[in-house]
Amino acid sequence: MPHTCSAPVWRLVEGQRLAHRCHDGQCVLFNDLTGDTHLLEHAVLDLLAALRAAPASAAVLAGADGLPDSDPGILAEFDELLADLAALSLVEALP
Amino acid sequence: MKPQPLLLQALRAPAAMARFGERDWDLLLRQALASNLAATLGLLAEEAGVLAAVPERARRRLGWARTVWERHLKAVDFELRQIGRALRETGLPVILLKGTAYAAAGLPAGAGRLFSDVDLLVPKERLADVESVLMLHGWAGTHLDDYDQRYYREWMHELPPMQHMRRASVVDVHHTILPETAAVRPDPARLRAAARAIPGREGLYTLAPCDMVLHSAVHLFSEGEYHHGLRDLFDLHRLLCHFGAAPGFWAALPERARELELERPLCYALRYCTRLLGTPVPAAVLDAARGGAPNPALLALMDALFLRALQPPHPSCADAFDGAARAALYIRGNWLRMPPLMLSRHLFHKAFLSPKAEPAQ
Amino acid sequence: MAMPTLASLGPRELRARLRGPGLRLQTGPFVTCIRSPLAPLADTLAAMYADYPVLDDGALADFHVRLSGPTGLRRLVRPQVHFHYDGMAPFQPLPLDQAFPMFEWAMNWCVSSQAHSWLVIHAAVIERGGVAAILPAPPGSGKSTLCAALVNRGWRLLSDELTLVRLDDGLIDPLPRPVSLKNASIGIIRDYAPDAALTRPVADTVKGTVAHMRASGDSVARAAEAAAPAWIVFPKWQAGAAAELTPVARAPAHMRLAENAFNYSLLGEAGFQAVGRLVDDARTFDFRYGVLDDAVAVFEQLLRERT
Repeated sequence: MPHTCSAPVWRLVEGQRLAHRCHDGQCVLFNDLTGDTHLLEHAVLDLLAALRAAPASAAVLAGADGLPDSDPGILAEFDELLADLAALSLVEALP
Repeated sequence: MKPQPLLLQALRAPAAMARFGERDWDLLLRQALASNLAATLGLLAEEAGVLAAVPERARRRLGWARTVWERHLKAVDFELRQIGRALRETGLPVILLKGTAYAAAGLPAGAGRLFSDVDLLVPKERLADVESVLMLHGWAGTHLDDYDQRYYREWMHELPPMQHMRRASVVDVHHTILPETAAVRPDPARLRAAARAIPGREGLYTLAPCDMVLHSAVHLFSEGEYHHGLRDLFDLHRLLCHFGAAPGFWAALPERARELELERPLCYALRYCTRLLGTPVPAAVLDAARGGAPNPALLALMDALFLRALQPPHPSCADAFDGAARAALYIRGNWLRMPPLMLSRHLFHKAFLSPKAEPAQ
Repeated sequence: MAMPTLASLGPRELRARLRGPGLRLQTGPFVTCIRSPLAPLADTLAAMYADYPVLDDGALADFHVRLSGPTGLRRLVRPQVHFHYDGMAPFQPLPLDQAFPMFEWAMNWCVSSQAHSWLVIHAAVIERGGVAAILPAPPGSGKSTLCAALVNRGWRLLSDELTLVRLDDGLIDPLPRPVSLKNASIGIIRDYAPDAALTRPVADTVKGTVAHMRASGDSVARAAEAAAPAWIVFPKWQAGAAAELTPVARAPAHMRLAENAFNYSLLGEAGFQAVGRLVDDARTFDFRYGVLDDAVAVFEQLLRERT
């Protein structure tokens, strides 16, 4: 089943340098735009780093994690995570 | 005749700070803090190359103020980003006013300057659109007291301040630069038509240089409160110094003031800037602006009031007249903006019936 | 380089300065110009700050604090403006007998709201063997009681309320000032340290009954000696609890420390890195205890483990 045209491609918000410190699977991240500090699972930081390297859709991100990239349940989870990260001004959908 | 307060000396000629000793700095810092100019002072000293000559303890103190300002700038950047996104769907250019404009455009007047609200100018007929779009993006109305709502919407020139529910940032949406009830009504459509895009900041605008100066003058000389009087006068000074270097600015300024019926505030602005801060205004412009002066008796009274009110709001610069001077200016300020009968009702209401909500500056 | 101390002024000169040009008092890295006509305050300052350096009239002060009788301010048309003249936010007037607690809170406020060369953490901090233990804690966790006990059992007081962490190298600058004690702690510390000098307790403050314990002469004399952070300990007093340290992972420790720092957000990335460095360099624990002697023993054990 092909992707619909409306699946957004996500990127790291410009200006986010991802200053972070990780230890034992957990990370703290400094948000350059809001000045907030976030406590995140390491996996989320990896996702942000991946987006910094190249913008990607939820399916691509899932695939990079070794997960089935067309499973609707998994995609929904990624979508929700990305929406949360967007609300924090860490990522944004390409126009 | 008393020498000028240290703060005025420092603002007029920042290099003079190299000569101040510890005792001077003790007083100067207090004047600067009281006037909300500490961050600015540090930046001026750095720009003049005299920061190394400042006593270490004072240098450290100026550094604290600078840290606050740098953080403020980042917060402003983020707010502008969010406001820009919110207003995108209205299709309106986002015209910034006052401190917000200086910061966004990177003007010298923005150096060290703090402000608590983001000020925008939009067409009156689009106010409802703007308000609803801001609300959708998390800003909520304040001043929900019915009287205050009327004050802002009907009599003043802005929506009641809108505060973001999560971030607590405040946006003031104006539709003109003086209230509808004032005697003078500079046409906001002319101001909006002349607005300039800010290079590097898509969708954001400032007023044209002459208009920025005139707005600052109007804001200062018809405002009710003068705690920031010196700060606001220094804004004017920096705007005039910066734009004065551009060809055509000085010639255009008195003419634009005439067009917008703002000759009186321009006259005061140039008069007090030159006297207190030594702003280099060409003689021809001062002459042209004199046409906006009031009759000599009133001018003498205004001199007595303003020259005191525009001093640093600190006991070291005060004399017995000051409290009365500031009070007279407060009443006068609101008189310009509201007809006298409405004014007394407003002051009474504000003093006794409104819930207290004084933001700390 | 010996500077004159407050004790060397004598009572008459002390009062003259307080009523006139101001008493310029050094506490840690700060100089505060203090003005007040209140005689009882002068007496308490003489008792609590006897060993502290004082500077002359021409010296530059970081902060200017004025404490006047409650009637004076209400005569003015705009009392808030009066406070603002010296750059200070207005406090609500308090009963006259709370002048010294008010002074201490004002001094804390000056530093916590303005001293942005440091990350300022709401925490007690003590030193021994060249290294420091930071005790952050929200009110009511027993931090001050624990701190007061430890400084009477061989630890040097760096600060009771405000931990100053340098932004450049992460060392802690001392700010030794009177240790505040509340309610039951007052009696506990009187028993625990009978030789400690305490002010007379002041009742009915917003925090209950309050007293202050003078900082030791040694801690004041060594106010210029910085220390490296070795431990971050979140104390929680609980009646009958056995003393127990539980390690805290670094990322959560970062968040908890940030929550307890006054200017963390204001410092932006510098604040983030300062806290990050702290949790990397120090060991972080939750600490539950019920008996002061047990707590003291635990801290001594921590010190032994380090050497």
